[in-house]
Amino acid sequence: MTVWHKLRPYSMVAPAIIVFSVFFIYPIFYMIYLSMFDWNFVSPTKDFVGIQNFVDLLTEPEFRQVLTNTTMYTILTVTLSTGLSLLLALWLNRGSFFYGIVQGAIFSPHIISLVSISLLWSWLMDPEYGLLNWVIGLFGFEKLQWLSHPDTSLISLVIVAVWKGVGYNTLVFIAGLQSIPADIYEAASLDRSRPWTTFIKLTMPMLSPTIFFLVIINMIGSFQVFETIAIMTQGGPVNSTNTLVYYIYEYGFRFFKIGYASAAGVILLFIVGILTIIYFKLLSNRVHYR
Amino acid sequence: MAQILLKSISKKFKDETVIEDLNLEIKDGSFTVLVGPSGCGKSTTLRMVAGLEKQTSGEIWIDDICVNDTPPGLRDVAMVFQNYALYPTMTVRGNIEFGLKNKGVSKSEREKLIKDISEIVGLAPYLDKKPQNLSGGQRQRVALARAMVKKPKVFILDEPLSNLDAKLRNQMRTELIQLHKRLGTTFVYVTHDQVEAMSMGDEIVVMNKGAIQQADSPMKLYQDPANLFTAQFIGTPAMNIMNMQDVKGLGVRSDRPVGYIGFRPEQGLMNPAQQVEGLVLEGEILTRESLGAENIYQIRSQAGVFFVKAFLKPLESADHVSITVPYNRLFYFGPDGERLYGAEIHAKHVAAGGVLI
Amino acid sequence: MKAANRAIDIGTAAGSPLGGIRTKQILLRRIMSYILRLLNAAGLLLLILIFALPFVWMLSTSLKTLPETMIFPPEWIPHHPVWRNYIDAWKTGPFLHYLTNSVIISVSILILQMLTIIPASYAFARYKFVGSGFLFGVVMVTLMIPNQLIFLPVYLELSAFKLLNTHLGLILPFASSAFGIFLLRQAFRQISDELLEAARLDQAAEWKIIVRIMVPMVKPVLVTFALFSFIAHWNDYFWPLVMTTNEVARTLPIGIAKIREVEGVGTWNILMAGNMILVTPILIVFFLSQRNIIKAFVYNGVK
Repeated sequence: MTVWHKLRPYSMVAPAIIVFSVFFIYPIFYMIYLSMFDWNFVSPTKDFVGIQNFVDLLTEPEFRQVLTNTTMYTILTVTLSTGLSLLLALWLNRGSFFYGIVQGAIFSPHIISLVSISLLWSWLMDPEYGLLNWVIGLFGFEKLQWLSHPDTSLISLVIVAVWKGVGYNTLVFIAGLQSIPADIYEAASLDRSRPWTTFIKLTMPMLSPTIFFLVIINMIGSFQVFETIAIMTQGGPVNSTNTLVYYIYEYGFRFFKIGYASAAGVILLFIVGILTIIYFKLLSNRVHYR
Repeated sequence: MAQILLKSISKKFKDETVIEDLNLEIKDGSFTVLVGPSGCGKSTTLRMVAGLEKQTSGEIWIDDICVNDTPPGLRDVAMVFQNYALYPTMTVRGNIEFGLKNKGVSKSEREKLIKDISEIVGLAPYLDKKPQNLSGGQRQRVALARAMVKKPKVFILDEPLSNLDAKLRNQMRTELIQLHKRLGTTFVYVTHDQVEAMSMGDEIVVMNKGAIQQADSPMKLYQDPANLFTAQFIGTPAMNIMNMQDVKGLGVRSDRPVGYIGFRPEQGLMNPAQQVEGLVLEGEILTRESLGAENIYQIRSQAGVFFVKAFLKPLESADHVSITVPYNRLFYFGPDGERLYGAEIHAKHVAAGGVLI
Repeated sequence: MKAANRAIDIGTAAGSPLGGIRTKQILLRRIMSYILRLLNAAGLLLLILIFALPFVWMLSTSLKTLPETMIFPPEWIPHHPVWRNYIDAWKTGPFLHYLTNSVIISVSILILQMLTIIPASYAFARYKFVGSGFLFGVVMVTLMIPNQLIFLPVYLELSAFKLLNTHLGLILPFASSAFGIFLLRQAFRQISDELLEAARLDQAAEWKIIVRIMVPMVKPVLVTFALFSFIAHWNDYFWPLVMTTNEVARTLPIGIAKIREVEGVGTWNILMAGNMILVTPILIVFFLSQRNIIKAFVYNGVK
């Protein structure tokens, strides 16, 4: 073993590790550090305030509203998106050409820029001339205000998120369904299992790792929603769609309260961290049927 | 051409000793087969010769060079792997050529070598195909060609036929034997299949639990096993072994205690027409396997269950039979399983039926 | 499950006392299955409409005059397609510049990622070295940290390095990819040891084994990752928005989002024309290599 043999693996991982350390690992600690200071970005001095930023945040009604909005948005998006996509997966899990086209169609929004989707849906949800109001008019409903009214704004964003995400989730579910060996279905049918029993006793348990995976990554994703809000509502009307990342963005870049925004960032880190830990816990003792 | 010497080789994986103090001489130009059950250390031994594994202690010599510190590529050894290990991203030509290129063989020379070798193994029409598009047998030939083209001193084959179907396996067996004759190179071959070992090797090394049980020619191994393990490993069905205590009416003179006796299934004579001096076992036929030219019976006697093989005789229909094993066909083993060469019968009985069970 | 149905069919057929009832049952079942198939086809069509109509609507709007967009109920096909909207959208900002930036940034990120993830994932998959567990831990932690979480400290960092409003500032944070390393490491691990050993016996140097044998073996995964990475960074809005304050390094998505500020709210025809510019190339690429792209994105979920 020469020295080079020993150093080789380190030199191979070094570039990647440096990038990660500088742009991912270090910033986490820097953000936690900043969250304990009062700083406006331009002043040369940072004032240490301890946990004051957190106390301020948690007593601030606006922030509590933001937390509620984010949680509501997440719960609605995740349940609707995974629920719908499970149904779609069971329906569309077929190999023929036409089903392939349908799968492609429902997946297509996933690769489109969120900018485009936000602009497109702003127009679709236009209260006066939008296509959506025309469609619901066909069914005899009144025009809705969609994004322009606090009662409907959050659910409108959820609709956009579900429209964008359901295709991806469906295809992941389909992949999960296809990884279940066909012979256990054959065995079940020889055992005269009814379709519903087969689904509950075999398909669902075999699919549970996929369900966990999708629920958690959808949750992590939803907690960080930003683009649609920045383009479609800017947090309004009357804060009804203000969510965590948008809040951090505004306090950091509009009001220059760096410490305060960092503290909000730490709270988001905390939430995402817990979700990630749950995910890996489930993953490590996840029910392996393969 | 080369002889290989392994001098007190040991191999440990972490705390587990896989091979302990192994000494072996592989003769120049021989077709040596290492055979044993899985986990016996035969593959590890082979891989240490190739240099893919490093022994924990001991020396490996190829010809007069100690290759302990020689990297695998420079040992002048070529290997055929169990799963062929063909480079899937290269054509057949690329696969054969890769080692030559690395050796720095000139282009014109390479082309000549590839042409020759592909004709020998019958791959000429497939040179520009990728391995994925070849059949199992063709892939096997590519692996052989890739090894042969380097003109190595030693050929190492690690269960190369185990992925082929039975018919192709037999065919490749013959081809490999012919190939060895033609090349005259030392072949070291690993298999767990004793039939393969017997049919191919001119020298067979039986291994178990990291130790060599016996190294001999196939016929010696069969007729003169050194211990219980070899006796039972070689031959189908295996040698019948009985506990000495369960066998009645056998007076054996030996300077060491006898633990077991054994006999080959084909040496048991069923209801012999003439009187034969031997051990008589009476029992009941449990199963009959008719293979055409030969029939195999499983028989339960008071001394235990054993097999008898009869050639060119009609299938025995009676349930109760008497089996006689000539005394000179009996093998004796000590309680530790070692063969007792000095043991002899001192009280002979004439088998006539009804005598002592 | 089909087999089960068939088994039940035979059971009922054999159990029915009269042939007439049996034919009636068969007829009824045929009609039912016909209706079901019709419903199924209608459902599939509706599904396609839900996902395709918004895009059609976008195209339709992008070819309308402003007054035409305000007709309600809306018209699908504009009387005289107004191609000028595209020119107007293009002229709201330095779009050629945005486009160049988008290409420079996405391609640089892709190249850098390839250069960093291939050796790193190979080392993690194939070498044993002291501290590899810890270093891979760094990769896994990075995999879990979303950009949205750390943009503030990274912004301050980039500002300290004087990298705000530069291409480098938008490239360097993505010079490597934890996801890529994760994917490739799996792929490298699945290659059998025998192959490496064969190459070693063929006297190949380590770098040659990597370049000539290992990397070609994982090409499908590399292509998958490249598609994923390129589309993600081509589409990215958040990072360029946060890390730029002027036009120097801004990309296409920012430009499109800015049309609204330039043209004013309500000019949906211009806005949708701009949107078409952003969406059309990606959609074309998508329909050309749909299989690979779907694999690229769904891979993450399956493994």
